[in-house]
Amino acid sequence: MEMIGHGGKEIIERVLAKDAALKRVAEMKAAKVKTLDVRLQMATEILDIAYGFFSPLEGFMTKADVEAVCNNMTLADGKTVWSIPIVYDISSADLEKSGIKQYDEVLLTYTGNPFAIFDITDIFTLDTKEVAMKVYGTTEDKHPGVKRTYQYQDKFLGGKITLLNPPKINEPFTRFWLTPKQMRAKFQEKGWEMIINHQTRNVPHTGHEWLMKGAFLGAYGSMMVDKPRGGVLVNAIIGSKRPGDYIDEAIILCQEAQGKHGYFREDTFLTTCSLWDMRYAGPREAIFHACLRTNLGCTHHMFGRDHAGVGTYYDPYDAHRIFNKVPQGALRIKPIFNLDWWFCPVCDEVTYSGLCGHKDKKASFSGTLIRSIIQDGVKPPRRIFRPEVFDMIMTCAEKYGFGNAFVTEDYLKNRQPVFTIEPLK
Amino acid sequence: MAEETYPINIWINEERLEKLQAAGLASMTKEVLAGLKVIAVPNTEAQRDKILKLFPVAKYDAATTRSIENMPRQIKDKIFDLVVKNKSLNVMDEFIKSVEK
Repeated sequence: MEMIGHGGKEIIERVLAKDAALKRVAEMKAAKVKTLDVRLQMATEILDIAYGFFSPLEGFMTKADVEAVCNNMTLADGKTVWSIPIVYDISSADLEKSGIKQYDEVLLTYTGNPFAIFDITDIFTLDTKEVAMKVYGTTEDKHPGVKRTYQYQDKFLGGKITLLNPPKINEPFTRFWLTPKQMRAKFQEKGWEMIINHQTRNVPHTGHEWLMKGAFLGAYGSMMVDKPRGGVLVNAIIGSKRPGDYIDEAIILCQEAQGKHGYFREDTFLTTCSLWDMRYAGPREAIFHACLRTNLGCTHHMFGRDHAGVGTYYDPYDAHRIFNKVPQGALRIKPIFNLDWWFCPVCDEVTYSGLCGHKDKKASFSGTLIRSIIQDGVKPPRRIFRPEVFDMIMTCAEKYGFGNAFVTEDYLKNRQPVFTIEPLK
Repeated sequence: MAEETYPINIWINEERLEKLQAAGLASMTKEVLAGLKVIAVPNTEAQRDKILKLFPVAKYDAATTRSIENMPRQIKDKIFDLVVKNKSLNVMDEFIKSVEK
């Protein structure tokens, strides 16, 4: 099976087998190597690096990589397209206290348990304002990606990562989190030659459903229809949440419900998730999503209106235009650009703005609008929102959301984590 | 180009519909999205900005609907009650003043 990922590089898992990991941890402890306990964002990105979601990255970026990402949207090799810095931050005080120096091998722990080896090759500082401007196009800390950038500590460590201790993915996410290698095996099992990725962090309404169906029809056009040769991959982004967002469990289970209840055939539809804290970088995040989904083995990626945007920082189609700036052949995935899908009361259906001639009668709807309808205690009609998806939201509210389908302080404090790192033994 | 109204959409559930009918205001609703009933309470740009400041969880959907969404339900209930009391959609000044008190 072909395991070539973004940048034309082979996907290599940087994960030690259990016996080797136990041996390495014992050796590191005996040698009294320095240790650092990582927070959730870093733990998530360590998993993404180690399993190849971020291939060809083998670790956290060095200063040369970050500068190339900011200035040229490539890695330091000047060729491999990359749009978002992947960095490990640490405060000067903690760095001094730890005694960590360049070329040290550090044992990373998460929730106190051995997690990964960090071979530090670079210790550096960044002008976070400059990074914000170049990556997000603004220095306003109202932008969530900029805010995250400003919240980084003042020093950064770059170097390769090797995972020692695989995560335990907790329910209900267990069956949805597939590594790039597992994902490709799944595609092979399904006989898919064409895989269209749908990026989401939302519960699906019929606008999303038709977005996916439209992309499927468009991309499938020239293929033989004797058997399923392709399908739609929903790859939900599971990561940091803000109050008012849908809870993660509702997102993933409602996406799956579309297949379970026949709105998509199960042999042409698959729901999975990737772990990532959205940066809302609009066009640059679109490029990042293209790289990520290339690593998953996708052949096509849908980009709708205002893809990964926030507020009014980006033009709704900036995330389409940025692909014109990428050298031909630099991405191994084909973008599928979409305009709006809206509800037309004349056609009496959800329809595509590129086809429907009743623009003056259109009723636009978004995930945000649907959220507002549900919050008001109203069940949307089935042409807008599938009843089985609505029922699943209610189930998730009871089962996972402490009575609420939307993120609350209670949920943030008491929810079951998506993954845990258990003692290595 | 039509003037922006930055509406807060109050979706009409059974409880709200009963109140509207009792006040003789059922015709105030409009039907959108395959039969959903809604009251769109307009805001000026200044009112919109105040609302977003007063209720950080609220979101202005600039990309698609150009409406203020994600307002907590109990807050929308208060706006709705003002609409019913005043028999008018122009209630946002009064509402904002009551919150700022």
